[in-house]
Amino acid sequence: MSAQLALLWRGSVPWKTTGARNAVGRWLIAFICIGLRVWEADAQSRPMASHAPTCATCHAGVAASYVHAPMHHALENPGADPVLETHPNLSTVQDGYTYTVQTKDGKSTYTVTDGKDSLTVPIRWMFGQHTQTWVLEKDGHFYESMVSYFPREDGLGTTPGDGRLNPHTVTEALGRVISTWETLQCFNCHATEAVDGTRLTLDRLRPGVECERCHAGAIEHMADAAKDNFKTVPKKLRPMDAAEAANFCGQCHRTWDTVVRSHWRGEVDVRFQPYRLMNSKCFAANDRRISCLACHDPHQQLSHDEALYDQKCLACHGAGKTAIDGKAIKACPVSKDKCSSCHMPKVELPGGHVAFTDHFIRVVHPGDAYPN
Amino acid sequence: MFVAPNSKPITPRVLSPKPQIPETIGSTGVPGAAGRFGLVLILLLLISSSAHSQQPAEQFDDIASRAAGARDQGNLPLAIELYSQAEGLKPDWAEGWFYLGLLQYSSNAYPAAIEAFNHLLVLKPGAPPALALRGLCEFETGAFDDSLRDLEEAVAKGAANEPRNEQIIRYHLAQLLARVGRFQDAVTQYQFFADRRIDDPDLLLGLGLAGMRNRMFPKDIPAEDRPIYEAAGRAGYTFLAGLTQEADSQFNQLFERYPSAANLHYFYGALLFSHAPDLAVGQFRAEVNLVPSNTENHAILAYSLMLASRYSEALPEAEAALAGNPGMEMSQLAMARSLAETGEEKRATELINHILKLDPSSREAHMALAVVYARTGRREDAYRERAACLALER
Repeated sequence: MSAQLALLWRGSVPWKTTGARNAVGRWLIAFICIGLRVWEADAQSRPMASHAPTCATCHAGVAASYVHAPMHHALENPGADPVLETHPNLSTVQDGYTYTVQTKDGKSTYTVTDGKDSLTVPIRWMFGQHTQTWVLEKDGHFYESMVSYFPREDGLGTTPGDGRLNPHTVTEALGRVISTWETLQCFNCHATEAVDGTRLTLDRLRPGVECERCHAGAIEHMADAAKDNFKTVPKKLRPMDAAEAANFCGQCHRTWDTVVRSHWRGEVDVRFQPYRLMNSKCFAANDRRISCLACHDPHQQLSHDEALYDQKCLACHGAGKTAIDGKAIKACPVSKDKCSSCHMPKVELPGGHVAFTDHFIRVVHPGDAYPN
Repeated sequence: MFVAPNSKPITPRVLSPKPQIPETIGSTGVPGAAGRFGLVLILLLLISSSAHSQQPAEQFDDIASRAAGARDQGNLPLAIELYSQAEGLKPDWAEGWFYLGLLQYSSNAYPAAIEAFNHLLVLKPGAPPALALRGLCEFETGAFDDSLRDLEEAVAKGAANEPRNEQIIRYHLAQLLARVGRFQDAVTQYQFFADRRIDDPDLLLGLGLAGMRNRMFPKDIPAEDRPIYEAAGRAGYTFLAGLTQEADSQFNQLFERYPSAANLHYFYGALLFSHAPDLAVGQFRAEVNLVPSNTENHAILAYSLMLASRYSEALPEAEAALAGNPGMEMSQLAMARSLAETGEEKRATELINHILKLDPSSREAHMALAVVYARTGRREDAYRERAACLALER
């Protein structure tokens, strides 16, 4: 209802108004915002920003869909985490340590014991919407939980990369100690307003990637819009070309430059989609058909419909299609559908539990080694 | 008691220390004489385990035995004399050269110790313990370039793998690196101390000097100049220890207390640079504003702006840096990439080709060239350049 009102208001009130109509517009905004708060609270049970209006006031449609998008759930809220709320008792034994994750009355705890000593810490930061790893805090140090929840097993398993750890105490068994910089990076990409320069601002943190995280200037725009000033519109992201989009999304998903400069190699880099995509022969910096945004709408849930992605491939490899320089593009001699099943294979992370789609688009031969 | 890697523990009984030398290195002490003794014992074990004499002549055997006895009793002058005699009889006795050098080092007879280690290194080329000890002796004699060469090689070969050896080696190496202007490498050496919370005013002073690009040794700093370097070293140490928020506060206090001090902002920027180039930009910018005539300030600012993908801002800084020093590769790379990203592909290509001519394996130059090709629609060439970058990494 509130979303509809917002659209109505946007459609009926001229952007530049003065005097009484302006005042009416402001009253309407306030009214709508109250409604939106109820709507959003129903939809997600998330804390709202304390000041009206919200982005949803005007952008109701995209806000409504974004509520379900993975980036919105990059960090889940204690008490409203679907994984833990639906799995109140999780347990596993790893290398002689027993891990228990319990949820009761909206509060979750993470316990590790070796049968003699035991350590329990609260879970305050839940990273991930499906596969979930917890960042734990003890004595001023942050830990990446030694075990994570994996949907494939519907249970706990060793967090990827942590299998090499060899804990000697329950504190060590808690998980991998995360450096200050890694902690800043984790929260900066999984939450909003979590970082200010070199400082973690967990008191201000809002879980997940909120609008202003990508749309720089959104807060100012919102405040100005409430005063009928629409000159401070955030930069539009849709027109970005393939290289710009890869670098923009790569701020969190890792850019090609970042991976190369950091010397990250091996199957783990399959998580870094912009890097993998830019390794593809078909990647053309100035062609939007190979942009991240050509296939993915960050405001929507991730689609697993192969037919949808086939259309994206055929946008270049379909009959009569040409490259941006006018040259002909080869069509696949094998098939016109399920392109990604052959050309973008799933790659299992070392340690198992989870596989990622390799965005390095290529002709894959059986038995090929993972190309770095 | 000292423990060498992959060996059983040995006790100070093996070599009695000079009376003024403590038996162990205190956890908060600056590596000095005490550390030296620790190093000596470890290195001794390493050498002795690999140096076996073959059927010595009776006379040699007798002298060698008496030398070891004198050494055990702490009679260093006699032990030195006897080892010298033994080496006269059997110059290929590696163990003897080692003990001789070691005892001379412990007696502050550095030139003689260097001579002994020279003999040892002829017999055992590249032996890390001998390199490390010779490097420390060279430091004491003022042969700093030789000392730097030896200590770097020794560290590269693992001479610093035992934490208590590492203190003395790294502390001296850090000073030598700063002396030749390799400040970032010097600061890196201090990471070891911060990781282990080894704390001492002289260490902090050394770190402060390196961070603020001062080539002087800590011992040469006048008392009135120490406070700013020590405070800077303290802030740097806090940062290296991972306490970034505290470090940020300490640096900001320093900026207030010493608003016109050159290289303070640079120091903080350089620390931030390796983790977050975008955060370093502000510090380098402040340094440029303080000392605009410093070409290196413009260069590092340009480079950090480039890494932060702020290419249009990087361009004027790179130009300023190149105006002062046209040959500086960091500025050239920042310039080339920024030109490529801002639509000046022709100038970028010329500069990149110049860089690649001098350094065909320059990763950043290949990355910039890939951007030039990408921006000009040369998809296959861009692909080839990206592949070239990845091949460089393998």
